[in-house]
Amino acid sequence: MTTTTEQEIITLTNQVFEESFEIEKEKLQPQMNIFEDLGLDSLDVVDLVVALQEKFGVKIRDDERVRSIRTLGDIYQFILNLKTGGASAIVSDQKE
Amino acid sequence: MQLKRVVITGVGAVSPLGSDVPSLIKGVEQGKSAVQYMEGWEQYTGLRSLVGAPAELKNEKSIPRQSRRSMGRMSFFAVQATQQALSDSGLEQKNLSSGRVGCIIGSTMGGAESLNDAFETMLPEKDLSQLTAMRFFQCVSHTAAMNVAQYLGLTGYVMATSAACASASQALGAGYDLIRLGKQDVMLCGGAEELHPTVTGAFDVLFATSVSYNNAPQRTPRPFDRERDGLVCGEGSGILILEEYEHALRRKAKIYAEIVGYHTCGSGVHVSQSNRDAMIYCLREAMATAHISPGDVDYVNAHATATVQGDKEEAEAIKDLFGDEVPVSSLKGYIGHTLGASGSLELIVSLAMMEKGVVYPTLNLETVSPDCEGIRHVMHPLAWDIGVMVKNCFAFGGINAALVCKKVNHQ
Repeated sequence: MTTTTEQEIITLTNQVFEESFEIEKEKLQPQMNIFEDLGLDSLDVVDLVVALQEKFGVKIRDDERVRSIRTLGDIYQFILNLKTGGASAIVSDQKE
Repeated sequence: MQLKRVVITGVGAVSPLGSDVPSLIKGVEQGKSAVQYMEGWEQYTGLRSLVGAPAELKNEKSIPRQSRRSMGRMSFFAVQATQQALSDSGLEQKNLSSGRVGCIIGSTMGGAESLNDAFETMLPEKDLSQLTAMRFFQCVSHTAAMNVAQYLGLTGYVMATSAACASASQALGAGYDLIRLGKQDVMLCGGAEELHPTVTGAFDVLFATSVSYNNAPQRTPRPFDRERDGLVCGEGSGILILEEYEHALRRKAKIYAEIVGYHTCGSGVHVSQSNRDAMIYCLREAMATAHISPGDVDYVNAHATATVQGDKEEAEAIKDLFGDEVPVSSLKGYIGHTLGASGSLELIVSLAMMEKGVVYPTLNLETVSPDCEGIRHVMHPLAWDIGVMVKNCFAFGGINAALVCKKVNHQ
C-alpha cells in the first residue's frame, strides 16, 4: 500500500468525524479515544459504521473487530487491514 | 375530589408566518397568507396539489450535536417553540427535572421527511445496512415529545398524541386532565408537523386537497367559501405551558387564560367523513366540563380546513349550538392546515385575539358558501370582547376534540 493511500484513509476517516460528529480537525489525532476524548457513544458507533461503509465502500456492520476499536488510530488500522488484507500498518510506531 | 384549575402561562410557536409568536400574530393581523407554490413537487406523479405553507428551519445548529442528532425537522420546530414558551412563562430550568413537569406533543405520524428518507435508503435494494441509528429517533411518532423531554431534562409525564389534525388539541386536553387530577404541576403541550409531498399526497389521494389554485397559491385554502376546493398542508409547532392555577399564582406568572373545558370523542360513523352530530356532542361535552352553555361563548375558532364536506358539517354543528350570534373564524387561510400542530398554533392566535379584544377574520372567505350559511362568519377584523372561547378540531379517523378557554381577570 502506498503512503498516499494510507494518507487517504486518514483523510477520509477524519472527514467522517468532522462531517458526522462535528469534531474539530485539531482533535483528530490517532491516539485519541473515540469515546473518552472525542465524545462518541454507542449510538454514534452505529452511525460511524454506516458512514465508514459509505466512505470506503466496505461492509463492516457485522465485523466483530469493530467492537475492539478504541482510538482513531484503531480505525485507520482497521480500514487499512480491510483494504490490504492486513499486510501493512498505518501509524509509524506500530509494527508491521 | 377537588379538581385543580389549569391556566396557560406561556406560548411558543414556529409557524409558516415566522419563527416566533409575534411574527405569527403580526402576519395574521396583516392578513398575510403563507401559502406558496412548492417548487419540485411536480416530480411526484399523481400529486395534484402543488401548494403548501412551509415554515423556516433556522438556528438548529445552536442545539448541541448530542441532542440534535436525534431530531428531525419537526423536532427542531417543537424544541424551538417549547424554548420560547418556557422563556415566556418565566419557569426556571431547575424546576423541569422535579418529576412534576412533563410534556405531551402530538403529530400526525412523526417525522415525515425522515420516514421518507429511511424508506429511500432501505427500499431500492431492500438493504438496511445504510440506515443510521438516529433515523429511528427522527421518525417515530413520539419524536417531538421525546426530543423535547430529553433536551430539557423533563422527568414528568412524556407522551405523544397521534390523532392527525386533532393531535395538538388532544395533547392540550390530556395535559389539562393531568394537572386537574393533581398528577403534574406543569405540562408543556401542543403539536408539531412537517410539510412534505408525501403528507400532502396522503390527503391528495383522498381528494381532500386544494388543486385549483396552484397558479394563485395565496387564494387558497378558502374556509367556508363558495369556491373552496380543499386543504393546504402547512408545518410548524405550537407549544403552550399549562400550569396549575395556584402554582402560577405563587410565582406571579402571566396568565393568558384558564382552560375550563375539554372533550374528545370518536364519531363511530366514518373514517374520513366529518360528522356534525359527533362535533355537536364533543362541543357540548367540553362546555359541560366548563359548566357553561353555548350562550356564554363569545368566539368559536373553527377547524374549517376548506374541504367541501368538512366545512359544511362544521358550519351545521356550529349553527346548531351557537346559531348566528357568536363570531366564528378559521385561521387556515393564513397558515394552511398545520395538521398535528393546528390545534395549538391556532389556540395561540386565539389567545392573542382574547388579549387584544379582536376577532381575526377568515382569510380568503369572500362569498359564504350556501352550505355554510347560518353562522356569524367574521370576514373583516372585528373588535370584540372575548371572555370565553371554544377551539374546535376534528380529524380523519372520525376524531373530534374541543377546548374551552376563559379569560382570567383577577391578577
